[in-house]
Amino acid sequence: MSTHTGMAAKRKAPENTIEAASKKRRSPTRVNPALYLFPLPAVAIIAFFLVMPTLQAFQYAVTDWNGFSAAFNYVGVDNFVRAFTKDSLFTNALTNNLKFVLLVVIAQTVFSLLLALLLTKNSRGNVVLRALFFFPTILSSVSVAFIWKFIYDPNFGLANSALGAIGLEGLQGSYLGNNSQALYWVAVTQVWFHAGQMMVVYIAGLQSIPRELYEAAEMDGANKWQQFKSITWPFVAPATSIVVAYTTVQSFKAFDLILGIAGNPPKGSLDILSTRIYSTFANSEFGYAAAQSIIFMGMIALVTWLQRRLLRLTPKGE
Amino acid sequence: MSQISRRQAMAVLGALGFGATAAACAGPGGSTAPGGATGPAAPATGDITGRVSFAHWRGEDKAVFDELIKRFAAKNSGVEVVQDISTSNDYNAQGLQKVRGAAIGDAFATFRGAQFNNFSEAGIYTELKNSKAVGNYQKGLLTAGQSGDSQLGLPYQVVFPMPMANTDLFNKAGAELTPKDWDAFLGMCEKLAASGVVPISWPGGDVGNGGQLFNCMIANNAPVDDMCSQIEQGELKCTDDWFIKMLNQYKDLVPYLQPNATGTAVEPAQNLFSQGKAAMLATGSYHIAAVRNLGATFPIELVFPNTSTDGNAKFEGVYNATFILGVNSASKNQAASAAWIDFLSEPENAGYYANETAQHVSVKDVEYTNADLKRLSPWLDKKTALAARFQFQNLDVRNAVEASATAVISGSSPEQAAEAAQKIVDERL
Repeated sequence: MSTHTGMAAKRKAPENTIEAASKKRRSPTRVNPALYLFPLPAVAIIAFFLVMPTLQAFQYAVTDWNGFSAAFNYVGVDNFVRAFTKDSLFTNALTNNLKFVLLVVIAQTVFSLLLALLLTKNSRGNVVLRALFFFPTILSSVSVAFIWKFIYDPNFGLANSALGAIGLEGLQGSYLGNNSQALYWVAVTQVWFHAGQMMVVYIAGLQSIPRELYEAAEMDGANKWQQFKSITWPFVAPATSIVVAYTTVQSFKAFDLILGIAGNPPKGSLDILSTRIYSTFANSEFGYAAAQSIIFMGMIALVTWLQRRLLRLTPKGE
Repeated sequence: MSQISRRQAMAVLGALGFGATAAACAGPGGSTAPGGATGPAAPATGDITGRVSFAHWRGEDKAVFDELIKRFAAKNSGVEVVQDISTSNDYNAQGLQKVRGAAIGDAFATFRGAQFNNFSEAGIYTELKNSKAVGNYQKGLLTAGQSGDSQLGLPYQVVFPMPMANTDLFNKAGAELTPKDWDAFLGMCEKLAASGVVPISWPGGDVGNGGQLFNCMIANNAPVDDMCSQIEQGELKCTDDWFIKMLNQYKDLVPYLQPNATGTAVEPAQNLFSQGKAAMLATGSYHIAAVRNLGATFPIELVFPNTSTDGNAKFEGVYNATFILGVNSASKNQAASAAWIDFLSEPENAGYYANETAQHVSVKDVEYTNADLKRLSPWLDKKTALAARFQFQNLDVRNAVEASATAVISGSSPEQAAEAAQKIVDERL
């Protein structure tokens, strides 16, 4: 009996398979549920190393926990109020950071776009120059900090030695020792460090612009500036969007570069939000440092959003 | 293999998320300080075997400790000591979190002041009052490792955070090494400058090393010995006359520092001194080994910038007792860790450490054979003040107060610099 049933089933099998196949065809978006397990490791890592610490930061931010005691008090929003109204070190770091971001975003975007425009063609010389300009990007930020620390040293440094060698002793300076200039010198380092990387993003954007557009523009009598304004700039807008957003986040988080170049703790004129938060943690004020971290996170989100709104770098519908 | 449905997958992910959230919402301060109401306990006793992690920040002393570890292992078979070394800045900032669970740092060292106090408060130190090691130390130097009635740590090093002097350049310039008051000190600087060298090399671009001069400048100016604690507590102010006087004395030093001193890092400052371009290096005796490694062969002495204006200075110099050794209360191998601390505290081994690293130690009956240590040994008996900057418990306050001196050297008026510092102190009262 069972043999007959089995044979009957076998005879029916092709029909079933066809039916199943047609069902699959009817719902082409259906995925094997087992596939949902694949992102599990990544989700777990994100949950434990990103979501959990972020949630903890929110919890710590409303306490006065010192980082090691069993006892702590809930202080509500006091830490946030303190940051903005009673802590001139924090507001100084915030001001420095915003100034640093503004400087670096403008200088790095302009400089990397300029380099990209000059090196778009895939000639042998350009490829060599691109590699040269990209080179600082592969260095570690600590190495970069030490290289530039040497360059800026007022006694043995390359900058003052070079100025002395060409008879410009009058321009020699203290660089990082000059509180009103120190931040600008670190901004120069940051641009040197990352402009090559951003140049590559721009080159990719520039190379995707159809040549016909320039040819048509030339035939219409458009000069180079008009071509840039009407063709290049709109077409590299997505690349600019990436460059600006990335540079903003990078400049907010120039922690290792600042610590490497200015020491730990950095002096007031070079203190930015990330180094201030680190100093607050080191000072055993975990609750307050967590509140500062949340403000920092909000600040990056706000500035990035504002940039995208003001520069209108993302075309509608994208 | 059975397949998981979308619903099941979402349930697993949801459970994970919930777990993460719940874990995140577990309150801070989950660990309690060991010791409790009865105070810290002595290290556990037992066999001297197993692995001991020794956490500290003296990377430059690694080879010397390696040799001592070899000797310790030869004496105690089955024990292994490994060094977990961080840079001094990192150790200062993160040492407590690193050592807390005893994943590293069965035995460890701390800086005197805020770090030692935080370690004590966190219950990381065990009680060493009745240890074999404590009897080997000079009693007067043990205070930096005490908390109440407990002897939690053993301050191992004695350093003099005072300017080091190239005596060859001093002799050449005819400058005296022991100025009796501030005018004599400035006169000494003037003679050195006239001889064509930079009188003082000062790493003003390095907060930690640049701040050591502050110990000398404040010692005889302040009305009390715990001046930095009192500034922090609001009992003394940076705007007080004595503090302004000190800042004015910093201003007096400007012509005698290397050009652009506030931008000078510690390594270039050491180079100026070791190359004979500067007569003094205003950091401290802890840099003797570093400048010797840079090629300095001249005899080195210490000079105390005596800020007294009437020649009746209370102190003749400053010192610091630091590198406070301790045994971790969370360590699973306290017996071997305590034995390691005992071993380091034996005069023979402490002597080896001192002579090889060119640093004095707090251990009694040590024979100093290192020429630099021999020459500087008389300073151990002088009337020196315990370095004041380590009284600060709040690093922001310390940096702000010390930054007022840097600001004056950069060109700010002493009054303005003092007000800026006091503002930050007031915010943290």
